[in-house]
Amino acid sequence: MTAQVNGARASTSQSGGGWRLRLSDFSDRHRSTTVIAGMALTGLLLPLVVLLPPFNGFSNQNVWLDGFTIAGIYVLLALGLNIVVGLSGLLDLGYAAFFAIGSYTFAFAASSFTGLNFPFWPMLLVGAITAAIFGILLGAPTLRLRGDYLAIVTLGFGEIVPIVILNSSKYTEGPNGIGGINPPELAGFVFPTVGNPWPFYIMMLALITICMILIYRLQDSRLGRSWMAIREDELAAAANGVNTVTTKLLAFALGASTAGLAGVFASSKLTLVSPNLFRFDVSFTVLAMVVLGGMGNIWGVAIGAFIVFLTQTVILKQLNVFFGNLGVPFLSDIDFLQYQFLLYGIALVAMMLLRPEGLFPSRRRRRELHTEEDVEFGEHGDPLGESPE
Amino acid sequence: MTTTTIPASSGFGESVRRLRIGPYLFVVALGLIVFVAIGPQQFVNALTIGAIYALIAIGYTMVYGIIELINFAHGDVFMVGAFASMFVLTSVLGQEPNSSADSAPQAVFLIVTTFLIVMPVMGLLGVAIERFAYRPLRNAPRLAPLITAIGISFILQNIIQIIFGPSPVNTPQVIPPTAKIQIGDVSIGVVNIFVISVSVGLMIVLQLFVSRTRLGRAMRSTAQDREAAQLMGVDINRTIALTFFIGSALAGAAGIVQGFYFGAITFNLGFQAGLKAFTAAVLGGIGNIAGAALGGFIIGFVEVTAAAYGLFVWGQALVFAVLIIVLVFRPSGLLGQQLGERA
Amino acid sequence: MKFARVGAAIAAAAIIVAACGGGSSGGDKTLKLGVTLPLSGGAAADGQPTLKGAQLAVDEINKKGGIGGYKLELFPLDHAVNGKYNEQQGAQDMQTFVNDPAVIGVVGPYNSAVAKVQIPIGNDAGLLQCSPANTNQSLTKPEFGGLDFRKNHPDRIAYIRVAATDDIQGPAMAVYAAKTLGLKNLLIIDDVTTFGKGVADTFQAKWEELGGTTAARVGAGADTTDFNAIITDAMTKKPDGVYYGGVVTSGAGLLLKQMRQQGLNVPFLGPDGIVNGNGQADGSLIKIAGAEAANNSYGTVAAIGDFPAKATFDAAFKEAFKADKEFNTPGAYSGPAYACATVILDSLQEFLKATPNADQAAIREGVRAWASDPAHSFETVLGTTAFDKNGDTTQPFISFYQVDPAAAGGGDWVFKEQQNFGAQ
Repeated sequence: MTAQVNGARASTSQSGGGWRLRLSDFSDRHRSTTVIAGMALTGLLLPLVVLLPPFNGFSNQNVWLDGFTIAGIYVLLALGLNIVVGLSGLLDLGYAAFFAIGSYTFAFAASSFTGLNFPFWPMLLVGAITAAIFGILLGAPTLRLRGDYLAIVTLGFGEIVPIVILNSSKYTEGPNGIGGINPPELAGFVFPTVGNPWPFYIMMLALITICMILIYRLQDSRLGRSWMAIREDELAAAANGVNTVTTKLLAFALGASTAGLAGVFASSKLTLVSPNLFRFDVSFTVLAMVVLGGMGNIWGVAIGAFIVFLTQTVILKQLNVFFGNLGVPFLSDIDFLQYQFLLYGIALVAMMLLRPEGLFPSRRRRRELHTEEDVEFGEHGDPLGESPE
Repeated sequence: MTTTTIPASSGFGESVRRLRIGPYLFVVALGLIVFVAIGPQQFVNALTIGAIYALIAIGYTMVYGIIELINFAHGDVFMVGAFASMFVLTSVLGQEPNSSADSAPQAVFLIVTTFLIVMPVMGLLGVAIERFAYRPLRNAPRLAPLITAIGISFILQNIIQIIFGPSPVNTPQVIPPTAKIQIGDVSIGVVNIFVISVSVGLMIVLQLFVSRTRLGRAMRSTAQDREAAQLMGVDINRTIALTFFIGSALAGAAGIVQGFYFGAITFNLGFQAGLKAFTAAVLGGIGNIAGAALGGFIIGFVEVTAAAYGLFVWGQALVFAVLIIVLVFRPSGLLGQQLGERA
Repeated sequence: MKFARVGAAIAAAAIIVAACGGGSSGGDKTLKLGVTLPLSGGAAADGQPTLKGAQLAVDEINKKGGIGGYKLELFPLDHAVNGKYNEQQGAQDMQTFVNDPAVIGVVGPYNSAVAKVQIPIGNDAGLLQCSPANTNQSLTKPEFGGLDFRKNHPDRIAYIRVAATDDIQGPAMAVYAAKTLGLKNLLIIDDVTTFGKGVADTFQAKWEELGGTTAARVGAGADTTDFNAIITDAMTKKPDGVYYGGVVTSGAGLLLKQMRQQGLNVPFLGPDGIVNGNGQADGSLIKIAGAEAANNSYGTVAAIGDFPAKATFDAAFKEAFKADKEFNTPGAYSGPAYACATVILDSLQEFLKATPNADQAAIREGVRAWASDPAHSFETVLGTTAFDKNGDTTQPFISFYQVDPAAAGGGDWVFKEQQNFGAQ
């Protein structure tokens, strides 16, 4: 049957899409180079694009770069959740808890609250590991649970962590949050948390690049294949010798560690953490980013995160300015701030109805849902062969 | 080797017959312990709020049982029901917010009319949501309808907020909140009795419907095995629509009694209530109606007990802790079907 | 798919065309007053009335022809995310203000937690920020850690506030409860926020110092709607009063309503967060609980009580916003926001009188320097306002208000007395 399918596909391979196919072939074989090149290109283009109209009308370059850096935090979160939800099929509705753990770890380690001053760079690793440990702690009791039971437990965990933080004032300053967190230092240079956005921006680009490379390595490795096997059919995977226990725990751990890493960065940049920043809507936003971006597809998820973040933070907030400038009489009078959720909700629903597989679905997913686009896969031969995606 | 046990139907009789009295005894024992621990006055509080959670939880569990969707918009249907009830009472029936009925017969009239209007309307809302937002996604990846559900939740919340404002809105309570019945040194509000009896009554009616009628059988069979049900001549789309109708109507009823009990409703009521109801449904075994009701009452007990011991802020965390503990020992929930490993 | 691409292209073109017309609106004779508040979702009930206070000030100034030839424009940014204030968004908004040279001052924020991230940004850039509602001591007072927020320029004050700090407001009500109302045993509830917990803590400390007993101290998070279990439990301890540290959006109205429904008819006390309008005002304590239930309630306000300008302000507010569907009556912090705007605009006026041809950067610094100078004072709706060397108001008066259910407008807060706490 494979040969037959192959034959049918090979016969359509001559038609169009040549350069795209060659590009994606190249990127499959040289993942890390592609990531570095892609991120470098993005990193250079973004600051230039915002100097052009219409973007320079909204804010100046510093504000945009600052916004992109924050978007980067969400890109990291989305990459991490993608491991859990996208690659391994484990529905995690409480991902913000790991973000909180990473953030508060750094807050305890380097702020005026505790008086400690651990350096930033090793703390990135420490925060990631701490979150990973909690990921395992969460994963362990849930191994027996079926899909949606897992969802509610992760949701519960995502609710418990902020509640604990909020009500343990003696240890966490409760609702006040921990302020005065130290910014990163590199060879005597203190990263400015106000004013110059470039140091943090460049650091974020580097972090995303490293994470993407690592995650691609994981995805292409045996572990990655085990994750996808569990996602598709856990029983069959177990029957084929996949150790579901370690695979699932590693998924939770590695997914959580990315969030922990993002948390350390975020708390150091904002110089403040508070339980208010880690509520369910953060978990949901990251999940929406993963789904809208295209579950399983690493670049897709990153781009999806970027788009959703910009929508929420820039577009929805600036609607009043935008329509005010348009000058249409009826629209100028509406206070769009009050309609933010309506528009966001409509966008979510519309997006799901039109393209439930996300903007940049992994090839397998797209094939499941839009069979008429099989033509595009002609070049890639046997889907069970070397490119598991 | 997989062992697939035939899932039990959700009838009370069948459960007893299968000697699964364990969970019920557990809950009765829990209830007695709690009664002693917090006193009768608080026990009434727990039963009342638990009854409301139970009503909402049932809708969650019914929908999940039939199409395996976590309907995050369900809590907001409850909220819309509360506002619809307020609207009916003030604009249609001419009651003043912050007022009560003048006499018992008038109260009965107001209550019956409100239920008769609001419940079907909320049912239709649920059907509409299913038809336009979930049905097209029945074959989509499982997360897509989840995102849609939350999108609908945002939409409903925002619409209500735009119409009624972001602050709590007063609603007529019909039954005077200060009307109480004295038993010893315990004073039980008439409102509390009303809420509990309406909830329990509706649950019993639902249970009878599901276990005794043909439509109920269609629902159960669709939940059990959709393709086989289709082969047996069940109209799947209609059955699912009916499930949504009933679940949403019950959420509407919960909204009505919420208004009666609290006297003020807010547009963001739905999220927290939905979360607790979902927890209740899972606690009881998702897909199991009696389980959802049980779960609702358990959550009410946990919250009030936490408050009674000065741990009010930890209430929500304790609820989830209870959930996790239960799931560790019974991964399918208290009354859930003990399924073997199946792909 | 084709349609999607075409549609996207059209949309993009539309955006470019539209936004080209926008950006820095107004001519070069416009200065902007930034406002940073949570304005959407549930937080709208807090932020919108406050925003309108500032808006009224700007509108009035523009009607008089602006200041020094400049027109004033209100520039509000919403830092609520999903209906709740968000510190991260607050930081980004502050960055936007700092990087827009036309912004000469900022009113806000509402929540002390957001102020913690905004103060360093404003301090670094030298942009004046005046908060109508922040009460946490740690933001300004060195003995509570205020210097952490202005590490780079500890002597430059860019943050001032007109609200009385918790260490004044809480004890003031404690004294009133003990001495004037003669209460002995209180149930103290707070909404587990920086403001609510802070003011309840200082209240409780003073209350117990004066010999009062605390029947129970309960935290009830801002999302709480069901207080019944708390009330039932407290009633077994027979309190003769209840103090609620928090704002009405955290559930004060619901709490009061449920108290009366359970038969707990004791006095209900609270800080300025609960004194937010009469029985017809959207989201007011009196409206939510009902005038009868709100009877026997007392609140503190950090302002002079019976001051002619206050009545004028209330009337002007209602007149200006009478066409608005919601929030057309002043809330708890509308007056303070108006006062903040007054301070900033008066500073602008004084500075331009001295240096009429200054550029925007100089104006920004000039406004900051003038407003934060302890030697200058301003006539506002809160009385005569001046700021000490840390940016705190030196306004010494705390006024006490009581609900009169029979007052016009469906019941209203009525001024009882004021006390001078300046010595504290």
